[in-house]
Amino acid sequence: MAFREINSKMVEATVAPGQRLFSQRGAMLAYRGDVSFTPNLQGGQGGLMSMIGRRVAGEATPLMTVEGNGTVLFGHGGHHIEVIRLSGDTLYVEADRLLAFEGTLEQGTMFMGSQGGVMGLVRGQVTGQGLFTTTLKGHGAVAVMAHGGVFEIPITPQRPVHVDPQAYVAHHGDVRNKLSTALGWRDMVGRGSGEAFQLELSGSGAVYVQASEEKL
Amino acid sequence: MFRLQGSNVLAVDMTGDAVKAKNGSMVAYDGQMSFKKLTGGGEGLRGMVTRRLTGEQMTLMEVRGQGTCWFADRASEINLVSLQGDKLYVESSNLLATDGGLRTGTTFTGLRGASQGNGLFTTTIEGHGQAAIMSDGPAVVLRVSAQYPLIVDPGAYIAHQGNLRQTFQSGATFRTLLGEGGGEAFQIRFEGDGLVYVQPSERNTIAGDV
Repeated sequence: MAFREINSKMVEATVAPGQRLFSQRGAMLAYRGDVSFTPNLQGGQGGLMSMIGRRVAGEATPLMTVEGNGTVLFGHGGHHIEVIRLSGDTLYVEADRLLAFEGTLEQGTMFMGSQGGVMGLVRGQVTGQGLFTTTLKGHGAVAVMAHGGVFEIPITPQRPVHVDPQAYVAHHGDVRNKLSTALGWRDMVGRGSGEAFQLELSGSGAVYVQASEEKL
Repeated sequence: MFRLQGSNVLAVDMTGDAVKAKNGSMVAYDGQMSFKKLTGGGEGLRGMVTRRLTGEQMTLMEVRGQGTCWFADRASEINLVSLQGDKLYVESSNLLATDGGLRTGTTFTGLRGASQGNGLFTTTIEGHGQAAIMSDGPAVVLRVSAQYPLIVDPGAYIAHQGNLRQTFQSGATFRTLLGEGGGEAFQIRFEGDGLVYVQPSERNTIAGDV
């Protein structure tokens, strides 16, 4: 396991020769051993095309490559950190919420419109997530940041889960998401319950929700 | 049925019953839920007018349905309070959710309210059921009995329940007037028998400046 939780706001990563880590630039707090940090112009994995893809998509967070032999402590802005372990499935997460992830994971960018068509685009705008999201696929661990604690809600085909778009952190598994609206005449006259837009997640997998409605 | 998931998420399991919660505080749900804003906190026209006049406005919504609903607000710590016919006094800004069956109202707090920076009125909750209140940092519950009155900083007070009398006391001396006060010029004194909830953080109050 590459990541060990020190407390709710700090993780310790073990780096060994031949194993790379990617982390958000500037998120290192301390390290032990012989570790080097290289700023990553490409903003992650893949070649030049992936880099251009991320720039265009607005999913380019400054990343750095962590290599060497030792342990590194990561934390950022006092945000809570959740370590998510992936075993072959895909995690969908916003790039600015990524703190660190193992080099064994394959990073990609997904166009939101490919799920749900026009509503997917609307969803991106409403949730403030933009039109693209970052995907991580393979075997390994990811450290994700959130405001407040994070909890996991399992999604099963019988039980779709609805999430407040502002409190949504990430999801993994075979999950379809769409924006559902509960707009009524009350919302039109300013008497809404503040829950007019919800993300509806169905399929099988899990969604991570933060205990706050604030973005990072 | 209220339960805590971690220290800052409230999970409510519902089977067709209703819960009153702060507007917009739902973070997730499964099953079927409907959300309706309660104008004037669900206290009717009279309650609505009272709240407007007293400045204890709170926007609540009624959540009704089947399944589990999760509530959270800006990562505040959540404390569960169960009421057996007694009355809970809480600031409307610290109230997250209550059982649908509990009655809410407003009451006059006198000078204490002004020193707390929360106005002269506070919200009361009455009946049988559970309520969830929020605090900045984990709250401590302090028992007040006849022999042991309790003195609390107005900025750290969040709620109290039971049969308590509260008086406002001032520790202001000539030093305070000279601007050399210790920052603890005003306190609330609780006497009687009951519980007081105190948070490990202080709101900005007039009392904190002198």
